[in-house]
Amino acid sequence: MSEPVLKVRDLSVVLERNGRDFPVLDGVTFDIAPGEVLGLVGESGAGKSMTGIAIIDLLVPPLRRTSGTIALSGERLDQLSAKRMRRVRGKRIGFVFQDPMTSLNPVLSIGRQLTDTMRRHLPLTRGEARERAIAWLTRVGLANPPRVFAAAPHELSGGQRQRIVIALALCAEPDLLIADEPTTALDVSVQAHMLTLLRELHEETGTAMMLITHDLGVIAKMADRVAVFYAGRVIETAPTGRLIGAPLHPYTAGLMQATPAPDADGAMRVRAIPGAMPGIGALPPGCAFHPRCERAQAICREERPPLADAGGHDAACYFPLVEEVVS
Amino acid sequence: MSLDDVLILNAVSKAYGGRASMIEKAFGRRPKGLQAVREVSFTIRKGEVMGLVGESGCGKSTIARMAAGLLAPTGGEIGRNAAMREQMIFQDPFSSLNPRWRVRDIVAEPIRTHRLRPKKAIDERVAELLRQVGLSPEDGAKFPQAFSGGQRQRISIARALAGEPDFLILDEPTSALDVSVQAQILDLLRGFQAELHLTSLFITHNLPVVRLMADRIGVVYLGELVELAPTETIFHRPRHPYTRLLIDAAPDLDATDRSLHPIPGDLPDPSDPPSGCVFRTRCPFANERCAAERPELRTVETGQVRCHYDLDLSQRAAA
Repeated sequence: MSEPVLKVRDLSVVLERNGRDFPVLDGVTFDIAPGEVLGLVGESGAGKSMTGIAIIDLLVPPLRRTSGTIALSGERLDQLSAKRMRRVRGKRIGFVFQDPMTSLNPVLSIGRQLTDTMRRHLPLTRGEARERAIAWLTRVGLANPPRVFAAAPHELSGGQRQRIVIALALCAEPDLLIADEPTTALDVSVQAHMLTLLRELHEETGTAMMLITHDLGVIAKMADRVAVFYAGRVIETAPTGRLIGAPLHPYTAGLMQATPAPDADGAMRVRAIPGAMPGIGALPPGCAFHPRCERAQAICREERPPLADAGGHDAACYFPLVEEVVS
Repeated sequence: MSLDDVLILNAVSKAYGGRASMIEKAFGRRPKGLQAVREVSFTIRKGEVMGLVGESGCGKSTIARMAAGLLAPTGGEIGRNAAMREQMIFQDPFSSLNPRWRVRDIVAEPIRTHRLRPKKAIDERVAELLRQVGLSPEDGAKFPQAFSGGQRQRISIARALAGEPDFLILDEPTSALDVSVQAQILDLLRGFQAELHLTSLFITHNLPVVRLMADRIGVVYLGELVELAPTETIFHRPRHPYTRLLIDAAPDLDATDRSLHPIPGDLPDPSDPPSGCVFRTRCPFANERCAAERPELRTVETGQVRCHYDLDLSQRAAA
């Protein structure tokens, strides 16, 4: 097997409040293989975005990484100086956030932002950068690229801006693209366009992708493999088809049942998980999900289940659901 | 208006702008108005949940606000029962609750405004409502900031129910919530629906949510109601091409079929809508007639549709 593009081991992040540390991420471990799309799914506050921020080393106090190794194509990012890390961001890791204005400078033209990014990271002349920028604007499906090149961000629609952010994230030819809720702020028809674009570019460039979303539908269509987050930990990881077809962790199953969908005979069903995810500093002992779990027994209240390594479909649960054998 | 009709919209329109500014007058330019809602008609019957679905900017929230009497239409008429009490639940539970009021005062306000209970019975009624929405009476002493988004939406629901409404308008009530919290709120709303036989107008961009909640669904595109039919009919036998494409565009949970189905083209500028049928610029079936002639809202056996043609759209369009 080839070396993973991204290898995260035992990543932990704490939030400091009144001199005490509260866990925000706890022992997060996963790999992304070359060309793979790994989906990070979970609810607000589960730690999926925090994982992305920790990887690109943009944590600011009161948040702090306390343990973990992060390797990008074999190079340890957690040991890099702040200065060298700046060269990794944007060049070797591109990112797309939910709000395109987070990534765009409101006072610079789109063309300037694209050419600046490319020339910072690639050996290009001004003319070459301009040519490539126009090519990128065409590639991300924008009509009239020369006009968009000269435009300021506020002159464009939300969907157009998100296309530009995708171009900005990929134009320096990164090893890894981190897309954090890239379609959440968009309407359903625009969302399908954006997912199609991400998929096409992923197929063309072969860039590995970490796709952070709360939307299981987006996961089902886009991800090769999935890591499910709950209260700062990865509680299940599996190839997408197996995770959706036969989840092992009761929380994953609950998340799926909470998504309104028609059942086999076409009747709509939705089933809520009782209670709420514990907040930072309010983690119960044992398994963080046990107060909401129908299957919980004594051991779940006392000991935290590790993420079992069961060869590709792993769950942090003492009493996982039985995976049905698909013949 | 029959006794069973709670609300009737008859060719209701809402236009913004359109009044010439000084500069436009000086230069003799025609003002650029915006037709947010155009000739929308439907009737909500007692006890039913009517859903309105569409993308942002399509005019569905404007329709909701006119239905609630918060906005006056610029054309058409709205008929409502004068004795009817309405309550509204909004999308953003962070801005719809007054941060300076305690929860018990927020919930008690409609009771006081409409004088629904004697003064000394108000506290007990508020406690009862808080219990019904899954909060505790002690929560009444806190301020909204102490609560999560889902809990705030429970407070909004308690406040709406406190007004003992005959008619409830819900504008994207779960869109700001996580899926597991959304499921709890939908459960809660469905419980009240069954128990109180509430008539409601449920507005959302989320098709599975409206399919779960509504008896009938109206589909809105660029300010127009393009289709109206019973919920399951909309999903099994849509009559308008936009309805079909909207259903296909949302990614479902099927990981074995990874095809994506974007709606072709972009949303036109609402201040400069296409001639004829508003959807024709994105419609795979459009022809010259669609550009020349605006389709009427026709009554068909399944409901109503604003399309010139009887298309068989029961199958998903090829990818």
